[in-house]
Amino acid sequence: MNPCRILRIFALVLVGGCLFDRGTAAAPRASCTLAGSGSSLGMETIGVVGCALVASRFTAEVAVRDSTAYTTTWGFRAAPGNMLAVWNVSGAEPILVDSVIVSGATTLGDVAVSDDGKLLIVATERVNGSLVIFDLTDPRHPRQLARLATQETYNGVHTAEVGRIGGRLYAILAIDALSSAPTPESKVVIVDLGDPANPQQIFVKAVPSSAPFVHDSFLRDGILFVALWNAGVEIWDVGGAGHGGTPSAPVVIGSVATVGGDVHNIWWLHDAVSGSRYAFVGEESGPAVLGFSSAGDIHVLDVSDLTNPREVAFYHVAGAGTHNFSVDESNGILYAAYYNAGVRALDVRGDLATCTSAQQVATGSITRCDLGAMGREVGQGLTGGTPAVYVWGVMLSAGALYASDMLNGLWKLQPVR
Amino acid sequence: MTRRVLRAVLFAPLALMIPGLRLPAQDSANAFDAGVRAIILLTHSTATPHGGALTMGYLTQPVAGAQWRHGLLHATGMVNLEGLTLREGELDLGAWGEGYVDRRHPHSYVHELMFGAESFQTSIGASLHAGRGFVPFGSDDPMVRPFVSYPVDHHLAQILERVVLVGAARTGPVIIEGATFNGDEPLDPSTPPVFRRFGDSWAVRGTLRGDRTPLLFGAELSASYANVKSPEYREGHGLDQRKAHAAARFTAEGERITRYALVEIARTTDVDRGRDLYTFDAFLTEGAVCRGGLGAAVRWERSDRPEEERLLDLSRSARPATDLSILGVTRWTTLSAAMSLPAMRAYDAHAAPYVEIAHITADRTSAAFFDPRQFYGTSRMWRLSTGIRLGAGHAHGRAGRYGVASESPMSTHGTHAHQAPCFS
Repeated sequence: MNPCRILRIFALVLVGGCLFDRGTAAAPRASCTLAGSGSSLGMETIGVVGCALVASRFTAEVAVRDSTAYTTTWGFRAAPGNMLAVWNVSGAEPILVDSVIVSGATTLGDVAVSDDGKLLIVATERVNGSLVIFDLTDPRHPRQLARLATQETYNGVHTAEVGRIGGRLYAILAIDALSSAPTPESKVVIVDLGDPANPQQIFVKAVPSSAPFVHDSFLRDGILFVALWNAGVEIWDVGGAGHGGTPSAPVVIGSVATVGGDVHNIWWLHDAVSGSRYAFVGEESGPAVLGFSSAGDIHVLDVSDLTNPREVAFYHVAGAGTHNFSVDESNGILYAAYYNAGVRALDVRGDLATCTSAQQVATGSITRCDLGAMGREVGQGLTGGTPAVYVWGVMLSAGALYASDMLNGLWKLQPVR
Repeated sequence: MTRRVLRAVLFAPLALMIPGLRLPAQDSANAFDAGVRAIILLTHSTATPHGGALTMGYLTQPVAGAQWRHGLLHATGMVNLEGLTLREGELDLGAWGEGYVDRRHPHSYVHELMFGAESFQTSIGASLHAGRGFVPFGSDDPMVRPFVSYPVDHHLAQILERVVLVGAARTGPVIIEGATFNGDEPLDPSTPPVFRRFGDSWAVRGTLRGDRTPLLFGAELSASYANVKSPEYREGHGLDQRKAHAAARFTAEGERITRYALVEIARTTDVDRGRDLYTFDAFLTEGAVCRGGLGAAVRWERSDRPEEERLLDLSRSARPATDLSILGVTRWTTLSAAMSLPAMRAYDAHAAPYVEIAHITADRTSAAFFDPRQFYGTSRMWRLSTGIRLGAGHAHGRAGRYGVASESPMSTHGTHAHQAPCFS
């Protein structure tokens, strides 16, 4: 057959096909209903005070200040995870008082309140990721001040830590990896919030390929702990460790690869008894089928020498994995969200690195103390099984413990001490 | 050990080909063939993600292919223009892969471009091919099978559009193939593969040809295994996959009737640093009969699909996932039937109307986040498609096999490539 004829036929078909590429896309059905529910769970030590059911969306992180709580949403349920919910938590049952829809987001994975209570920051995922900054002059009705969306945040902002360095406010962003992005690597981005209406991106660093993701960070006293997944934990001087680091030019001063990797989140404990010796690391391991199963331990690092951190202990829950922490530093209690296993409370006061041989577990060349075997678990909550829970985050505030449950919404709990 | 075996499989054909290079050229066919294909498709689905029924029209599978042979040398190529006509993907509930969900993704513009040499002596044949194309794993590409709609198991039962070096050896009814390739799956139709990742993945396939032994009643048996590094994270640090596949395939071409059947099972396991995380299984059987230009086909499939976080466009998902979790595994059971009418012909071109209908069931396998009933409004759906297959020139043969592993090694069967006449 004449090649010209073939090409002509093909060109006609192609043009027709392009013109024919039309659809009748239907808009997503979206409705959000929020209602208070006092249903009680089977409980052990950590009692249920009240709860607020969120059925239309998967609930993600929780942040609380005084009598107001903020929860974010994740992924798609009956509606997209683009809602920030504002709760009055002064009573037993959280009451929804406002909500904010953040456009262009499928997940609002992280939320935090600045130490002075003036700002609320929200991380948005995935594509066209951003940091949204709200003014909390009226804490029950956040007002959007600014939204930072740059090429560096495009992949999605997984978490946003807010803290002060040298008296100035900064946000530390953990940026997702995204294959199709101009810069596909996962990154740490530091944002200057000195003028919160005009946030300035001042530092960007792609994580090493050995990681290959950054998932969270913890900022305190000018020292930043970075959760680098399989590369473990890095400790950066961003102005407080005396190694010359600044927020715009951090200096890595120490690192450690934790057993199993999959480092998700960190809390550096400042305890009146233990001092600043320990950092707690959440491992978000697999297999994990969201809403159903999870895996991953809490790892304890001795960071008394920040340049040479080492893993000394761990805590394991069979059939479940940990997620975010909140620590009652005055009482030495760590509360951990444990997805399908509810909430766990650990006594983290004192020496966690010394234990009997029966309480030790050797993994490769590392011998660690098992906090469970040491009797360090002091409380469990939301473990009754009905309804099933999948707890994302916890936060202790004003004598109450709040737990965000992806399946059910927001729980108000009674701390163990 | 596995690398050593793979190296042996890859380079054995070279040794076998050396005597063949001295053979006179008159034992080989010299030829150039070219052809174009496209399908006008109108498809209706009774459910869509968070939406109701949807009808869409496309030009799907617009391809232009050519192959060239000269003596022992062989080149084959195919340009696929779905990147122009299927930017949003083809509506196909259950389909997944390459960042598309419930829509079949468009393929790469350079779908296949392979060069190679083959030699076929009296008892042993060998070939070596390199370029971008199909990895010797699994079954034939759905594009050359009876149904227009791709099965759910496409990413469990085929590996394609990779920079690949394929060696094959054949003796009697036995064919052994080995390949090494880049693990990264295509990002989009136009972005080239990550060439530095060539060699980070490998596959082997063994085939027993039924037409060469009376024991199999004409059926072809094959088994394959692949180790694919980080297919979903281009940078190479995501989850790996171990893939296994076995199939029995039967074809019979009579004077008036052509028959075809395929039964396949496939398993893919996601692996994190050597640790198994998730396993996805597939079982598919399909058959077709063609008589006098009128064709009928039926397919039954039950395949697992990983559910991942979706983007604002609910037909897309981000790659890679932010951690090691998934939202669940959905089991898709699809019963499809197709009918193709006799083609209208003019010159060397043809146009054949067809219709397909499928009943689709999506079931949760655990109490995970992803609930098909909530997401689609129902767990039972229908898809109805109709359109016209257009073609001119030479048709592509069995997609996924090269050299002596293909159905028509040049020095024995010439350049004719088999394809069911009703569904091409």
